Amino acid sequence: MPFFEQLAGNLVYGAILGSVYGLSTMGLSLIFGVLRIVNVGHGPFIMLGAFTAFWMFTLFGIAPVISISVALVLGLALGFVVFFAVIKRLINAPELSTLLATFAIGIFLEEVAKFIWGPDHRGYSWDIGSIDLSITLIPYSKILAFISSIVIAYLLYMWFQKTKLGAAVRAVVEDSEGAAACGINVGRIYALSFAIGIGLTVASGVLVTLFVPVGINPYMGHEYTLKAFVIAVLGGLASPWGAFYAGFIFGLIENGSYTLLGTIPGVEPFSLTRFVAFSLLLVILLIKPTGLLGGESK
Amino acid sequence: MLKVESLESGYGTMQVLWGTNLEVKRGTITTVLGPNGAGKSTLLNTIFGLVKPWGGKILLNGMDVTYYPPHKKVESGLTIVLEGRHLFPSMSVTENLILGAYTDRAMERLNETLELVYSLFPILKERSEQLAGTLSGGEQQMLAIARSLMTNPEIVLMDEPSQGLAPKLVMEVFDTISRLKDEGLTILLVEQNVFASLEISDYAYVLNEGRMILGGTIDEIKDSDEIKRVYLGI
Ligand SMILES: Nc1ncnc2c1ncn2[C@@H]1O[C@H](COP(=O)(O)OP(=O)(O)OP(=O)(O)O)[C@@H](O)[C@H]1O
Ligand SMILES: [Mg+2]
Repeated sequence: MPFFEQLAGNLVYGAILGSVYGLSTMGLSLIFGVLRIVNVGHGPFIMLGAFTAFWMFTLFGIAPVISISVALVLGLALGFVVFFAVIKRLINAPELSTLLATFAIGIFLEEVAKFIWGPDHRGYSWDIGSIDLSITLIPYSKILAFISSIVIAYLLYMWFQKTKLGAAVRAVVEDSEGAAACGINVGRIYALSFAIGIGLTVASGVLVTLFVPVGINPYMGHEYTLKAFVIAVLGGLASPWGAFYAGFIFGLIENGSYTLLGTIPGVEPFSLTRFVAFSLLLVILLIKPTGLLGGESK
Repeated sequence: MLKVESLESGYGTMQVLWGTNLEVKRGTITTVLGPNGAGKSTLLNTIFGLVKPWGGKILLNGMDVTYYPPHKKVESGLTIVLEGRHLFPSMSVTENLILGAYTDRAMERLNETLELVYSLFPILKERSEQLAGTLSGGEQQMLAIARSLMTNPEIVLMDEPSQGLAPKLVMEVFDTISRLKDEGLTILLVEQNVFASLEISDYAYVLNEGRMILGGTIDEIKDSDEIKRVYLGI
């Protein structure tokens, strides 16, 4: 039974990693849902969160779970700055302008990071022991990452559903002109949603550091931009909750396929998981262009 | 209570309104008629602030609100029922109504307004938990009007509220609008349905290619040769 044990172990790991994937995509979906802007500079914000975790740990010995809140606050602040400096002017601009602008923001962040911290990989090890599930060994740090992702996603969900401001964001997502007719300050909702989206993304970068064996560097974001696009499409693009669930699905498929591909002789499974992921994206787009969990998109 | 002077606006470089004038007196229904593409929706959306004015003046109770953004207009007592309803389709009827009471001005009187709205539209009370997107066309229009009332307005701009409705429902909508006037509301109406809207209006204007070509009391308008020729076919 080693194959099934290995598969089960990888699926558990996939679910844990998937929760972090989910969290790291929610910001992208939120920003797209509210502002109808695709942030192609998504990954570099994850990188900033990763560096936040790294420096908090190496300089002050602060555990990543605590750094999440620091990253969230930094991300919110950065989100407001980027919104008022760049995004505000692009709300009704043609798609190409917003793609170029967010792409440029991403590159800018990477280059600033490289200028300050250099291009090399850095890592830290937060070892707080492991739990033995008999099929596999899971470090507590990853379990904490899993719990943190779920708690953050749940808190955001409650904020959306139970608060007046959350309802206003949902209203703008559904119909921004209708929201204006209700007296909602749509411009302020745009700013707030963008900032929350960036805050979530930077916060997720903290958790990402617990899953990167080679360490972090200024260009680590690309991989996450790509994955986030697959996950966002899987989740229906405009829905943060869809993105969160889709993150799980993606984590399971990625790690499940790893086990399956490993059984094929002569195949190096790691290099193929990305191929599987993007084949999946193509198939989904062919069958259901509004995304797997998405309804009718406008 | 609402006065529009030489209003100009448009989209990009295309000018639509060319110095439009209009006055709406408190407690009246004023209708703007005009052919398709005359700029009626543009006029209402510019007054509300969804389209930026290029020039001219908008006075609300004597106060210059020309460049107020939409949410400040709502806070000042002016709101709009947009062409095409613009509800929140995947929220319930109640949620749509509560969002209508978003401003401080509206929150103060939330319970009273909700009661008034439910007495005007009993069907919405029955359907309170239903998703707005699943309502029939007529019910959706009622909800759009009801949601605008939730803002606790003094004046409501209505853009073709009878659009796409069956004749029986059209009459119901016009009925509702005159009842709103009886409740003390001021209404600026844009309609394709000339007969029915002239029936309930006190004043009317005719907009053509972004300019008001006619305006006056309902009797004056009905008597004008222009209206007889173009709209009433007499
Ligand atoms: N969002 C927009 N962007 C660009 N042009 C627009 C926009 N909305 C309207 N127009 C143009 O402005 C002009 C006036 O349109 P408007 O919708 O105000 O007319 P209307 O009188 O409301 O017509 P209808 O009776 O069909 O509703 C038209 O030429 C229209 O094509
Ligand atoms: Mg129109």
